[in-house]
Amino acid sequence: MSYSLNEIEALSKRASRGAGLSWGIAEEAARTVRWLASHQLPGVPLLADLLDHMDQAPRQSFAPVSFEGVWSAASGTLCPLASGAGLNDCADRLSTGQPTEMASVSHPLLVVPFAGWAAIHIAAPVAVSWLGVRITTDGYGIWVHDPNKEHDVTRTVDLTCSPVHNTDETLSMPCLRGKVPQSAWARLGSLAHRTYAPATEQSRVLGAGAGVTDND
Amino acid sequence: MKVVQTNTATPIPMRDPAQVMRLARLGSFHQSRLSFMRVLIRRMTRENWTFSRPVFEIDDQGVGHAVYCAHTPNRVYSLIAFAHDLPAESRSDRVIAQAWDSTFTLFDGVPTQADIARLRQNVPLQEAGRVTQSELSVSRANRSVRLWEHVVSRLAAGEQPDEAEVEAVGYLMRTTAVYGSGKLGAADREMIAMRPECAAPFQIEMLSVFLTRTYVRDLAHHMANLRGGDKAVMLDSKIARSMGIGNSTGLGMAPFLLNHPILINNWIYAREEAIARVRNLQVASADEVKIFVDLFARSVISVERWKSVHPIQIEKLVVLRKDIQKLAAHIQTADLTTSAPWNRLFVWADENLGLDAVECLASLMLEPYGALVDSLVDQMSNNDAAAFRINGGMTVAALKTLLTANYAWALEIDWNAKDACARAWYVSEEKLEPRLGQRFEEPIAEYEQPLAPGRDAAALFDTLGAWDTDKPVANFLLAHPEHRHSVRRAQIVARAPFAEIRDNTIGSDLLPIDMLRCKLSFFGATHFDPRSDRWLRISLFGNAPYPEELQTSASDFWPYPELGLGLT
Repeated sequence: MSYSLNEIEALSKRASRGAGLSWGIAEEAARTVRWLASHQLPGVPLLADLLDHMDQAPRQSFAPVSFEGVWSAASGTLCPLASGAGLNDCADRLSTGQPTEMASVSHPLLVVPFAGWAAIHIAAPVAVSWLGVRITTDGYGIWVHDPNKEHDVTRTVDLTCSPVHNTDETLSMPCLRGKVPQSAWARLGSLAHRTYAPATEQSRVLGAGAGVTDND
Repeated sequence: MKVVQTNTATPIPMRDPAQVMRLARLGSFHQSRLSFMRVLIRRMTRENWTFSRPVFEIDDQGVGHAVYCAHTPNRVYSLIAFAHDLPAESRSDRVIAQAWDSTFTLFDGVPTQADIARLRQNVPLQEAGRVTQSELSVSRANRSVRLWEHVVSRLAAGEQPDEAEVEAVGYLMRTTAVYGSGKLGAADREMIAMRPECAAPFQIEMLSVFLTRTYVRDLAHHMANLRGGDKAVMLDSKIARSMGIGNSTGLGMAPFLLNHPILINNWIYAREEAIARVRNLQVASADEVKIFVDLFARSVISVERWKSVHPIQIEKLVVLRKDIQKLAAHIQTADLTTSAPWNRLFVWADENLGLDAVECLASLMLEPYGALVDSLVDQMSNNDAAAFRINGGMTVAALKTLLTANYAWALEIDWNAKDACARAWYVSEEKLEPRLGQRFEEPIAEYEQPLAPGRDAAALFDTLGAWDTDKPVANFLLAHPEHRHSVRRAQIVARAPFAEIRDNTIGSDLLPIDMLRCKLSFFGATHFDPRSDRWLRISLFGNAPYPEELQTSASDFWPYPELGLGLT
């Protein structure tokens, strides 16, 4: 089904929060999914799968232990959102020409938008590579090399993000609509539902300040 | 080209965000020539937009549909209105309502029969329906039962409505939601943001309401004709002109201010910059002073007509009316033409009048200076996507400096005191309605939305205390991802000084209506009428020209009721 990008972002944020992410990471997860959807990439199904897998898990065990050397997580699996956020936070490192390497990343496609925002910051395209996939982006456009259809894998042993100089690829630009499979939308919906307070008569009357007639 | 004299030696700076961004002041804002309705009317007039009504098929029960087209120089926008027969017991202004007197969508282009058939299955359902990227907004409106019946029955009987009745309500229908920006499947703002007529904020929503006002007037005529036959008369154009579209606005709008910090900064920055430009003028011409004095007199009438039954607003109106009298007396004797007249007037007002009158004056001072301030509208949208990125290279020390500079008001609050955090914002299961509850009396804390930036900034500052000040923020956030949203905001405020409401948004004394009035003043709303501390009614486009009057009435000053043409 076709959704507006705002709808995709709003539901992704609520679902991320519902799965226990901090508000700040939930905001970024939502932007990530919006970005991928605008490039016709399966951000929603990957986020739904990631949130299911890491639901209520101790987040720190999936975050990079440190930003030194090859990034890895205490649990053995890096969360692409925590890693991506760190990658973007440390974007200045990329401008020195040094690649950022990560070990054992789940749902690696979710790292790509963060790399895109880092690219905007350093004003140079970056490439994110895992398995046979190489995605190049300047933050706006995208070029996908994926001969084995591995862009939506749920795990990769290695991921590398490096600055790219003199790319002559023609980047495809985003569109303004997202197609989302109903099953993934429903999974995000059920996670988002956890953030809604159950309706009570008290909140219905007091919570929005009604209680007077509108037939006037 | 007009030469603007400014004092370049000692320019008067913009007001300090710490002074402007307090809730009591934001809740005292007035519409100005930068307001979005004003922007739309100016453009429609300047570009000679034309209007048509290709469809009006509504039966004697008031059920059917109509299409109103706005023809810009380059494209057409169409309001599709569905008219319903709503039982009184279903009529509610609340978001949780499920049926309305009329429902609307603004269509991008001219709808086909197939489009209308598709939309008839969805638009009347509002949140339970689904639209597409061809639709730019979805909205609904309910009658003012009292005034609707009065007007229709009088017109059917060949008489005009009682002017006091009209003035007491001010509108025949009130909208209870106008959704844009991708809601319910509609087009995202990005799809239309590059169009010149959509560049300023909320132009689509304002156009929808402008066309809705015409539809409502036509529907009243239509129903009166069906009821009265040959006896029926048309509404006097002066009375029709005085009527706007009502709007009921609740808590959904309050989180908007907090969730769109850059946008809010751009709105308030533009108005503050406009005020500063006018204050820096060294002289004012006789013509400019005349515009100001005339509009001040018309403002007095507008304030007199402003009615509310809510104790908070009644008290505000008492003070505002008293202050307006003081200001009137001062204006009679003040020199308004030389020695930085507007700055002297403004400083006098700031020292002698309450917030409401000061903000009213601030907006009025801009009126003679369209050439000086109107272009600021171009800066009022949010085009700063890069601001979302956290600068992880910033040091902990620099972040602490930012917090100390911009959140001093929050660092001074004892957030452990119950009164300081008595409220919590949450989203209800019912239609996802934003609500505000009592943290210590209701089971809502676990559902709390991040709408207390002051409290969260103070918590961030506290946690930073244990960190090496030379460390980059990226390392801090790796250990403390729970502070990411607060770090982002602090960095946004560093580049957008009016981005943050510098007040407690969860305190026991919070009045959400202050946040609503701030936003609605930028729409151009007048006559704010709180119905409780958390929702209010307003009028939109009251006194505005109708589509067929745009070229003949050509006055940019339409929000101010004309002298000697008052209804009562």
